[in-house]
Amino acid sequence: MPDKPGSRTSAFDRRAFLAGAAGSALVPMTARAAAQEASAPAARDPSLPVEVTLRVNGKDNRLSIDARTTVLDALREHLKLTGSKKGCDHGQCGACTVLIDDRRVVSCLTLALAAEGQEITTIEGLATDDRLHPMQQAFIDNDAFQCGYCTPGQIMSAVACVKEGHANSEAEIREYMSGNICRCAAYPNIVAAVKQAAPEIVKG
Amino acid sequence: MTAAAPEPKANMGTPVPRYDAAAKVTGRATYAADMPLDNPAYAFLVTSAIAKGRIDRFDLDDARRVRGVIEIVTHENAPKLKESKLFSNGGYAGTTIQPLKSVEIAHDGQIIAVIVAESYEAAREAANRVKVSCTVSAPSATFDSPGATTAAAKGQNAQFKEDPKVGDFAKAFEEAEVKLTAAYDTPAQHHNPMELFTTSCAWMGDNLVIYEGSQYVYGLKNGVAEQLGIDADKVRVVNPYVGGGFGSRGSMTPRTAIIAAIAKRLNRPIKLVPTRDQGFTITTYRAETRHEIRLGASRDGRLVALRHAGFEVSSRPDAYCVGGTKTTTRLYACPNVDSLVSIVRADRNTPGFMRSPPEVPYLFALESALDELAVKLDMDPIELRRINDATNEPIDGKPYTSRSLMACFDEAAKAFGWSQRSPQPKSMSDGDWLIGYGCAATCYPTQMAPCAARVRLQRDGRTRVEIAGHEIGTGAYTIIAQTAAERLGVPLEKVAVFIGDSDLPPAPVAGGSNSTASTCSAVMMVCDQIRQRLLKAVMPSDSLADKAKETVGISPAPSTQAAKSDRPLDIEKAFDALGVGIVEEYGEWKPDGAPMDSFTAMHRGQPRFVGGHQMKDKIAYAFGAEFVEVRINRFTHEIRCPRLVGAFAAGRIMNSRTARSQLMGGLIWGMSSALLEATEIDERYARYVNDNLADYLVPVNADVPGVEVIMLSEQDDHINPAGAKGLGELGNVGTNAAICNAIYHATGQRIRRLPVRLENIEV
Repeated sequence: MPDKPGSRTSAFDRRAFLAGAAGSALVPMTARAAAQEASAPAARDPSLPVEVTLRVNGKDNRLSIDARTTVLDALREHLKLTGSKKGCDHGQCGACTVLIDDRRVVSCLTLALAAEGQEITTIEGLATDDRLHPMQQAFIDNDAFQCGYCTPGQIMSAVACVKEGHANSEAEIREYMSGNICRCAAYPNIVAAVKQAAPEIVKG
Repeated sequence: MTAAAPEPKANMGTPVPRYDAAAKVTGRATYAADMPLDNPAYAFLVTSAIAKGRIDRFDLDDARRVRGVIEIVTHENAPKLKESKLFSNGGYAGTTIQPLKSVEIAHDGQIIAVIVAESYEAAREAANRVKVSCTVSAPSATFDSPGATTAAAKGQNAQFKEDPKVGDFAKAFEEAEVKLTAAYDTPAQHHNPMELFTTSCAWMGDNLVIYEGSQYVYGLKNGVAEQLGIDADKVRVVNPYVGGGFGSRGSMTPRTAIIAAIAKRLNRPIKLVPTRDQGFTITTYRAETRHEIRLGASRDGRLVALRHAGFEVSSRPDAYCVGGTKTTTRLYACPNVDSLVSIVRADRNTPGFMRSPPEVPYLFALESALDELAVKLDMDPIELRRINDATNEPIDGKPYTSRSLMACFDEAAKAFGWSQRSPQPKSMSDGDWLIGYGCAATCYPTQMAPCAARVRLQRDGRTRVEIAGHEIGTGAYTIIAQTAAERLGVPLEKVAVFIGDSDLPPAPVAGGSNSTASTCSAVMMVCDQIRQRLLKAVMPSDSLADKAKETVGISPAPSTQAAKSDRPLDIEKAFDALGVGIVEEYGEWKPDGAPMDSFTAMHRGQPRFVGGHQMKDKIAYAFGAEFVEVRINRFTHEIRCPRLVGAFAAGRIMNSRTARSQLMGGLIWGMSSALLEATEIDERYARYVNDNLADYLVPVNADVPGVEVIMLSEQDDHINPAGAKGLGELGNVGTNAAICNAIYHATGQRIRRLPVRLENIEV
């Protein structure tokens, strides 16, 4: 998903990642965890849990998890933040979309270890002081969901879509909201919701 | 009022926002896999890579070595489960193929082992390390496959009672002035609701709680109890929110009892989250169908002969069929009708309901054929339908309770700009784009089933409605709350609704578009019981009580909106007179004509449907008309669908917002069905090829055009107390034909096989 030029500060910067990978042969995504264990004399059993601190909605959480745990499963199974949904576990549907350092990512394709040190924002962290985020209110006003299962992902994606500057027309919204499947097909209402909330979000 | 919340017309409820809206936009809505469990173990399924054969041997050593593996269950050590009959034969199951029972493999993707581990990651790894040796037999994949067998549906499927026919089709067709014979195909499709087919099971002693997205909590509860051989009262199914159903969660799948039994054995809650691709084979789907239509007409367009032969694929053991001829033989006035439905058995998982199960494939055939006939007659396709519009269905001569088909055509045609259409094919274009306009009728039977409800009213007006209905995205919470508020005369915000829990009073399956009519009729009746008690308290004399009875419309059968809460009721005064803190009523409602055993069956999780063509002296359907514009690039053959317009009439609209959303979603489903969706079958191996959300095409936002939904005002006092016809399955029926008809108009090419992809266009 494209974002604003110059805003790439996360570890997900592909150029930085590729440069790093080229420099040190194949660095696995678990590099950070592996580095912690580098001093261990024997080869570490990869099936043992690893320690990781995830910063979610402004709060640090210390976890001991399987190194293969995705951000999505860390949120859902270990932090009891079940708002983010598993719809495919393959990055095909967008139901698991969260913000990591303000970029929208599919949390099912992001390892928890790779998100350490970054700011994860989930649907649970969007409303402030019991006041709904303008995008949440716009989804209600425009009936932008039916079963509601894709909705947390749609809303997180929509917030990022606006902040990326991709909500300037209905056609643009449709295009940049196409990473999130809604099987109930509330699409026209989702477009209306993003259109409604965009000015308020841009205004801040 | 916004586009999402259209101004209600006569006999429409107000478009209040969804009852569950705040929960759904904040992530607080808890779907099955969101339910907290105490120290759960994680299950992962191993499914068969062959469609037919026998398991010779498992090698589980590698899998067992994975750290955290607790148990590996195969047919050799699986808990013994009792069989459940197919739902259509008085059981609960969507398939009688019971996995983990023997070495036999009956279809691709059949569950052959369950791994249970301390973590999801360990369970998945172990599943990938299971090695299985099989003896493979050649499977029959689909139509025309060697070994597939074909036989008439009648006599195989208890729910398919009759091939409708009337008059003398053969003679009438022979003598008809204008004749059409055409064959149509529809593909296999999978529901792919966004929520995966998860199941969590937790035991407390002898009591089992199941968290599973279900469209029928009473069916699942009773079915699992039957399979486990325990009292149904010990099983509770909970799902306050369901992440889309579309029919996929209407009948019990084998996974639930298996997970429940393993949880019992391990004495630990178990959470199963199957993968998306496993969902293609561990539940049901819409099977592929074939049709042959014959139409005979007079030169002036009157139908004189109609024959519809349908062929549907099912599994080896189960005679599932949708039999849409019950609708297509009754839709238009035609004196000579014949039909035949056949089932083709192949080595596949058993198909099942998918949104408008009979109507989608069968009306695609009929409504395409009518368009072809209109071309032969050189007649406008709307006029052809007008000439053959019926007030009584032709098979038994029963009158439609209401039928706004042509009114829908006229409204939609006006909004769409049909008059701008030049009738000749290939006569409209815009630069590189050929433009086609097409239309088709849509319809869906109005159905009801017995339903119970409990309503509790407090002195301050706070109301609690309990009903084991289902929120699959239709707006069930919202309209149940609206119905109770209106009926009791309390503010909407004081009404709390509890659904999705089999410990609540039983509601029927959320299928067949019956839920609104059934649940709201039950809630109305129970609210009236409360009003009667309160009115009696403030009007103690017999004569006044009788008067109250009339006013609140309790008996014999409350007639639709006439019985609305037209008499203000001073709740506080009535409570003081009664001297109680709470008034609570439970009631069981059944539609006219429901069989004697309706209520006992209802508690057993077996709905006794009434409606459609199966009513005694009438026939009840909702109708609509759907119009589309397609644009086909003359060089690349890319197909776009920039406009969908639908006009619908469905009796009382309970909430114009939630109703519009369902119809809009239906229209988009129809577009998707016509242009995108197909489960590709590898005919050599009888396996599904595109079993994921990237390769099984469903629309994304950029695919979705302008959609306009028009709801006509319609009142029908002959269907149910709520006056509602179901509309959840009305929107996606006519679209398939409308799009193919538009493609013909754009290109002159008639496409009779779905879905239509750019490689099928030969401009």
